[in-house]
Amino acid sequence: MQLILAIFWVFLAAYKSQAEEIQSSLLTVETSNSSDIDGAVVDAHVNKNNLIGSLQYFQGNEKILYPFNEELTIRPLPRNFLLTSFLFQLESNEVTKPELDSEFNSYKHYTVFPKALSPILDRTQTRQLHLRFTHGLWDAEEWGQLPRQGYTSGGNGVEMWAVIEAPDQKAAFQQWISLANSLSGLFCSSLNFIGSEKTTYPVFSFLPESQIEPFFDVSNGLFLIRAALANEPICTENLTPFLKLLPTKGKSGISSLLDGHKVFDSQWHSMSIDIESKCDEFSCKYEMNEQIEMVFHLPNTLSRADRPIPKPLASDELRCDESKPHDDYQCFPLPESRNLKFDLSKLFGKSISGTNLVSETPSRICAVVAPNWNVLIRVGDTFFSTSDNCFDISDNNFQDMVFETDDTSQIIPLEPAPFFASRSLTGYSQDAGGMRTVIKNPTNDTINIFYFESLPWFLRLYLSSLKLESDSGLLLRDVIQDTFYSPAVDRQRPSHLEFNLSIPANTSIALSFEFDKVLLKYAEYPPDANHGFEIESAVLSVMSPMKYTVRTATSLLPLSTPDFSMPYNVIILTSTVMGLVFGTIFNLMVKKLVPLEELEKQQRTNLLTALKLRIAGLLQRRPRPSKSTQSTKELQ
Amino acid sequence: MALIEKLERRFMRLGLLPRLIKALPRLSVICALIGVTWLALILPMEGQYRRTYISENALMPSQAYSYFRETEWNILRGYRGQIDELRDLETQTRNEIVASWLQEFGTKTAVYRDEVDGDTLYGLQHAARGDGTEAMVLAAPWVNVDGQFNVGGVSLAISLLRFFSRWPVWSKNIVIVISDNAHTSLRSWVEAYHTSLDLTGGSIEAAVVLDYPETNDFFRYVEIFYSGLNGELPNLDLVNIAVHVTEHEGMKVALNGVSENQIGDDDSFSGRLRTLAGSITQLAYAGAQKCYGHEAFSGWRIQAITLRARGTDGPFDITTFGRIPEAVFRSVNNLLEKFHQSFFFYLLLAPRLFVSIGSYLPAAILLSVSFMLSSLDNLLNNKYASTSLLSAYNTGAFLVFAVVLFFSFLVSQVLLHFPSTPVPITASILASLLLGAAKHGLSAPLAYRFRSLAFLYFGLILTSLLVVNFALAFGISLLALPMTFVKNESDFKRRLKNFILLILSNPFIAVCLVTDLISPDLSGSQALERLIFGWTRMGSWTWFVVCLGWLPAWLLVALSTSPASIPPSKTTTEDKKNA
Repeated sequence: MQLILAIFWVFLAAYKSQAEEIQSSLLTVETSNSSDIDGAVVDAHVNKNNLIGSLQYFQGNEKILYPFNEELTIRPLPRNFLLTSFLFQLESNEVTKPELDSEFNSYKHYTVFPKALSPILDRTQTRQLHLRFTHGLWDAEEWGQLPRQGYTSGGNGVEMWAVIEAPDQKAAFQQWISLANSLSGLFCSSLNFIGSEKTTYPVFSFLPESQIEPFFDVSNGLFLIRAALANEPICTENLTPFLKLLPTKGKSGISSLLDGHKVFDSQWHSMSIDIESKCDEFSCKYEMNEQIEMVFHLPNTLSRADRPIPKPLASDELRCDESKPHDDYQCFPLPESRNLKFDLSKLFGKSISGTNLVSETPSRICAVVAPNWNVLIRVGDTFFSTSDNCFDISDNNFQDMVFETDDTSQIIPLEPAPFFASRSLTGYSQDAGGMRTVIKNPTNDTINIFYFESLPWFLRLYLSSLKLESDSGLLLRDVIQDTFYSPAVDRQRPSHLEFNLSIPANTSIALSFEFDKVLLKYAEYPPDANHGFEIESAVLSVMSPMKYTVRTATSLLPLSTPDFSMPYNVIILTSTVMGLVFGTIFNLMVKKLVPLEELEKQQRTNLLTALKLRIAGLLQRRPRPSKSTQSTKELQ
Repeated sequence: MALIEKLERRFMRLGLLPRLIKALPRLSVICALIGVTWLALILPMEGQYRRTYISENALMPSQAYSYFRETEWNILRGYRGQIDELRDLETQTRNEIVASWLQEFGTKTAVYRDEVDGDTLYGLQHAARGDGTEAMVLAAPWVNVDGQFNVGGVSLAISLLRFFSRWPVWSKNIVIVISDNAHTSLRSWVEAYHTSLDLTGGSIEAAVVLDYPETNDFFRYVEIFYSGLNGELPNLDLVNIAVHVTEHEGMKVALNGVSENQIGDDDSFSGRLRTLAGSITQLAYAGAQKCYGHEAFSGWRIQAITLRARGTDGPFDITTFGRIPEAVFRSVNNLLEKFHQSFFFYLLLAPRLFVSIGSYLPAAILLSVSFMLSSLDNLLNNKYASTSLLSAYNTGAFLVFAVVLFFSFLVSQVLLHFPSTPVPITASILASLLLGAAKHGLSAPLAYRFRSLAFLYFGLILTSLLVVNFALAFGISLLALPMTFVKNESDFKRRLKNFILLILSNPFIAVCLVTDLISPDLSGSQALERLIFGWTRMGSWTWFVVCLGWLPAWLLVALSTSPASIPPSKTTTEDKKNA
């Protein structure tokens, strides 16, 4: 126990001293060996503060290795696009089984693993957690496979799935809601809007890669639960928590490059977190992978740094096609220049501020480029290069990278996507519509695809209308090997549809089905500014011969929306009309038309009234109307 | 005795009810007259219309500076020179070349193949980090409405898209559509986009069709067309943006083909009336007359307009024209919701003057009321009024009506397959002649029932049509009005009059006559073929409204003109006395 305590102290101290050393340069870390960094840090701490002499005892005997690893991969894509992937790998300390008697006095150490996450995972008994924040379109035809076989990129918006340990599904769902609500605040997103009407329990897709077993209680089951919030906007406030979870907090290491202005000015970006618990017989620990990936269009992004508004070019900057007529009056534009030279700092607006300082491995930057690219790292005024274009950042100085090439079209060959999928809404009317998914298999093998679709309940799906279009005359039963379908329950459960599709080589198929649109209750419509109802993307994953997952674009379903000011107008109008009509008819039916003589005759019979009238007449000194008056008086 | 009884007695004493019933024909005419006056005389009067305004605040037209100028002009001309050389090539080759240009700046392209209507090249530019669920369409047909090669339009569309590709502001995908022509091939693409295309970019919010024929550098003024099929109009906000942007750039706007010297006649009654009449005819003839391009987008909640550059000389440069779609796209791009703020039903009296549905609808309502009154007149104003509801006459009339309706349906279907104008017209003339000249005809009570039923049916058709397609409802009710003056008399003069009235109100003849008179680009001799074209190729319902709404009513009235024979009835006269 003392050991753990000591390590913890050292960690804290190391942290403190890092911050100081960056400012005051008390210490220079020049070595590239990680163990030496730790040693130096410990030394610095001891020398400076002279606090715990006993620490010397541990030094040399045991290396303080923090399980943190970070890597930036930069990969040019065709047509002047550039993919940058940030990968951060963390591990937690051992997670012990919560035993009731010891729990009260128990304490936890977190080291590099975010303290914000661990208790949430423990409390909700989450064994795996996957979060995806993605926006934009990945152009698979040009850019090939998604990074990491599409495993880390979600559909447009926010997506989350988890493996939760619980005695039954109901308890698992409770844990899931609790998990979503906790993460909602942590990640500044609307995850708290996940309810049973958005939650599905995938059957074929999203299965964990490795076999996992209940850890907290052997009698428990494991439940795979998933939900997605389509088109949830993703912005700086979502990036900040991602950086906060890192031990470097975006202050040093490669994460110091990440700036909301640039990350979200990209063509496509994806932020993901995967936490898996790895167990042996006695204990478990969490492994966390955090990835932030984005695709830049280099000419646009770089020119934005110089000219924020893409105004027309000056006439001497125009690049005209010499083979076609060109003069002062006309210019047929050439394709984008393939000559390119840029600094990483111009792309991200920041330089890398040194290595990460906490890990056993230095921060690593790799450029996956063709031989005609020149990649240099710049420290101060000195440039360095390596043969494999990978750089370990081991000191604390600001670093920058320079990329230079005469032909950006030369790239390291990309892995082609094993299949393409796109989905679109069809149909004309306000009350019904259809959905059509095109899946294309360009490979020479038959592939098996798991198709996962979770549709909101207000879209009443007709599975009987499922149709298959294919040029090669395939039938539904040739393609669909297996189906899982759980129909929607209004306001409680989405339609959950999964297919196991087998698509022959070099074939393109289109699956389509029809649905009715349901009229919502008035309070269920979103407030005024909405352009339709979001439908989350379909998820298609192939397991063999390779692993690959792809998501279609989200769709926007226009539901017939009443004009909400109309009831107000109608109520006012009908009330007025009713009032007028009622008043008139009531008067007509109740009031009588009586000649004056008759009235007086009646009054005379009633002495009391006559008396009253006389007194009133006397008081007002008004002459009584003569008997010959033809005027009539209404008496109610 | 309550007041109401008093009133009733007075009512009875004065004999108002019989008087009213007697006056029904006159009332019907008065209603029709007020209806026409309302539209033609009152609405264009000062104080009856309103100035347009941008209702949706997010649109902010012309608030951002338009940058489609300077060297964009050189690029535009570069494209234009190349496109001019494609003039004589096959569409397929042209499309391949243009597709390669579009791909240079990152547009996904595909060709929609249609063997009947011609191929359509379209390209999709994804909004950076966008959700890809909504799109704006920039369309430029290879050949414009007048059959001219749309060099300027296509090169504008391409260079605009290239210009757009550099901007990071887009929240909606941008789709460029280059179709073979402005009508059928564009329509067929729009239909395919919503059914079978593989490359799609989400629901289309707005579409702008560019029409800048030939290679001239300058133009004089801009025409905006907006009347969609089946009475559909784009949201008034979109038209307002286009007008606002165009006038902001200093160009003059002509709506619905108003000629150049009449632009700016907003201050005169006649100018407003002319534009109003133009709005109504454009709307009524949409689909049947020549199509400018935006008609193809009707339906699917797409707001579409056509921008045309007119004149070959003048103060304005082709990039000035390009700044209109630029600014319109910037505005539409700002929308967070669908177009819903402003009016969907309106008539424009000038580019910046309009009347909304509440003001113009009474005109059509009064006309349909006029038919209802005629129906009542034929039911009540004769000595057979008191026959019971289930009498042989009534049931017979209903049976004949069903047969006539079925017959009309047959006629519409047969003509769909064998379109012809002279055949139905001669058949109509023969029918009215024969029926009018026949020696023996229907019994008089049946004739009255026929007419009553005909007007009732027609009135109902009008009422259900007038909100959806005001122009069509107003137009056909005006044309069919002579039907209501048909009377049963046996003298020759009366018969001749009946014959003339029938000819005037015959759906086929009236449509052809009026088309010849008012439509500048359609001759009457092909009017019916164009209506059929409108249905089969564009999806405009006008043909069926004419055949299933108007024709049955006319046939019943025509049947009722055959000389009446008084039936040997015993009960009717007695009933009359009792009443």
